[in-house]
Amino acid sequence: MEGEKKAMRKIIHIDMDAFFASVEQRDNPELRGKPVAVGGNKQRGVVAAASYEARAFGVFSAMPSVTAARKCPDLIFVRPRFEVYKEVSRQIHQIFEEYTDLIEPLSLDEAYLDVTENKKGMPYAKDIALEIKEKIFQKTRLTASAGISYNKFLAKTASDVKKPNGLYIIYPHKAEAFLEQLPVKKFYGIGKVTAEKLNGMGIFTGKDLKSYSREHLHRWFGKSGEFYYRIVRGEDERQVHAHRTRKSIGAERTYAENIETKEAVYEALVPLAQEVSRRTQKSRLKGKTLTLKIKFHDFEIASRSKTFVQAFDDEAGILLGAKELAQQIPRQPFSIRLLGLSLHNLSDEAQEGQLRLELT
Amino acid sequence: MKFIVSSSVLLKQLSAINGVITTNPVLPILENFLFVIENGNLTITASDLQTFMVTELEVEAKENGSVTVPARILLETLKNLPEQPVTFSIDESSYTVEISSDNGRYKLSGESAVDFPKKPPVSDAYNVDMSSEVLGAAINNTIFATSNDELRPAMTGVFVKLDDTNITFVATDGHRLVRYRRVDVSSDSGTSIIIPRKALNLLKSTLPSDNTNVSVEFNLSHAIFRFNTVQIFCRLIDERFPDYENVIPQNNTNHMSINRMELLGSLRRISIYANKTTHQVRLKITGSELQISAEDLDFSNEANERLTCEHNGEDIEIGFNAKFLVEMLNNISSKEIALQLSAPNKAGLIVPAEKDSNEDILMLVMPVMLNNYV
Repeated sequence: MEGEKKAMRKIIHIDMDAFFASVEQRDNPELRGKPVAVGGNKQRGVVAAASYEARAFGVFSAMPSVTAARKCPDLIFVRPRFEVYKEVSRQIHQIFEEYTDLIEPLSLDEAYLDVTENKKGMPYAKDIALEIKEKIFQKTRLTASAGISYNKFLAKTASDVKKPNGLYIIYPHKAEAFLEQLPVKKFYGIGKVTAEKLNGMGIFTGKDLKSYSREHLHRWFGKSGEFYYRIVRGEDERQVHAHRTRKSIGAERTYAENIETKEAVYEALVPLAQEVSRRTQKSRLKGKTLTLKIKFHDFEIASRSKTFVQAFDDEAGILLGAKELAQQIPRQPFSIRLLGLSLHNLSDEAQEGQLRLELT
Repeated sequence: MKFIVSSSVLLKQLSAINGVITTNPVLPILENFLFVIENGNLTITASDLQTFMVTELEVEAKENGSVTVPARILLETLKNLPEQPVTFSIDESSYTVEISSDNGRYKLSGESAVDFPKKPPVSDAYNVDMSSEVLGAAINNTIFATSNDELRPAMTGVFVKLDDTNITFVATDGHRLVRYRRVDVSSDSGTSIIIPRKALNLLKSTLPSDNTNVSVEFNLSHAIFRFNTVQIFCRLIDERFPDYENVIPQNNTNHMSINRMELLGSLRRISIYANKTTHQVRLKITGSELQISAEDLDFSNEANERLTCEHNGEDIEIGFNAKFLVEMLNNISSKEIALQLSAPNKAGLIVPAEKDSNEDILMLVMPVMLNNYV
């Protein structure tokens, strides 16, 4: 059971600086000091990561490569080498493990660490964070930024404050003041669209957001509104989960030539269904909700979902569902540059409703 | 080195220990049997590094020696030979093994015996004896409830606790739990060990059905089981077994007793109609009637049966995974069983109604939450 006594936790959020791009610059001296984009090429795809030199031109991850190339004509596109990134990620993880087992990786280059009780018995999270940063640099020649606070949300927000190679602590007594001055778009969990919506309502900073009641926020943003209400007050009780469960499993592909017929869509769905099925089965999961994502030639994105009664993971089932969703492509005629398939509502081995013993 | 042995006698011994060999072993030499001849006695060893199985037989041999022989080819050869004495001639410098029979000659290349992994020494061991029948029953009653979850290694084996009055075997996968206790075996060692599933499966398939004595020697890291000419060495699971006594409910006051075979038959039929992933069946006990039903919404399949039972307690409706119930009921031998329940979200217990005086079986199963609104 959750303890009644609420001890103040110490959470560190470690975030590697421009991870993929930094690895490429480390391994290839010719790329150092130059604007580098990992992923995509001049014609197609999206930027998976951008070096700081590229960011200065306004190039960011997830930006279509064409846009990136326009913003920064000297941008060098590099193929991603995921095996290398995974290896570095493993090295970093090993360093974390010297301090705590409560490690929640968010991706290859980010993780939350709960160091309230740490293996080295170090009293100050700041010292741990400094040591970890130093060890990461010694071992990988890469820099990381660290954020420290008493919950996940604040730690994550803090790591972004002094990037790159920074360290920032949000102390409990200063948290509210810090959040009040923070622009809403800097809040983790508030995306660009929500931030614009908030700005449109005259909400620009944490202080503005805080002046609205729980009911108001709930009415406007639903469940997320509750979350905003709490985080702006520095409340976030989410635990650091050492084994994070996946929310969805998906695969997508950008095509060299746009797809313009239904038959071609069906054909393109086959390898996607295969991939999703393979990965779902590999994780020993099944999903109930299937989503088809469509990006049109003009970059507008549409998605169609369907939830089935029973969870599934087989290729045939996924393909059948995907074809059904493809009937609902919201344009006719269409020209599609990207298709994606994903399974959500995942459950493990479909042991749905099956209760477990509380074995300790 | 040379020896002569009956093809069928050798085949029988090899088949008894062949189960330990894996298809893709860590070391290639583990695809071989180790043959060691000493004073007319052939000792054969097979291993997967975690478990070693050893057997012995007498052969006609003039000299001592050793070699390892590819298991699959040797077994296939012996299986397809008519019963007869066969001669093994081994060149100990090239490790070539030649088998000659009335039908012809077969040559296969072995490996050096020196390279075969050594079985671990088991020092400071406790010893306990039990009959093959008792050990077999304990394994059959528990092994099906072990977990496959490699993240919780303790639960992938069977926990064995020895006391001065009894021996207890426990297995659980987190959804169900079996506790099998015998009062006719005891030891003052007061220790507990976790035996891996693979070793138990090997025991299960090699233990003789007649009443043979099995000598069990164990320390904290290894165990040895000896019976007839066979010895099984296994590494134990070095983990803490979860605190199982705490999860066994003490006051399940709804007691239903019913004929085991009738319940089993009904569950088998009903489960055909249950959802293929959840195997969920619904048990509704009202008065002296047990109603079992299942449905699969995706196929609009449904089934319903009514059985007579004896029930002491309140009416109750509870869901279970039919596979779990079937497995448990299959392993109980008594004519009647009692199902003891408390609430639809709490563990249920299955116990045999008639008890063998030496045996105490308790099976626990967690329910599946019924969704009445689908």
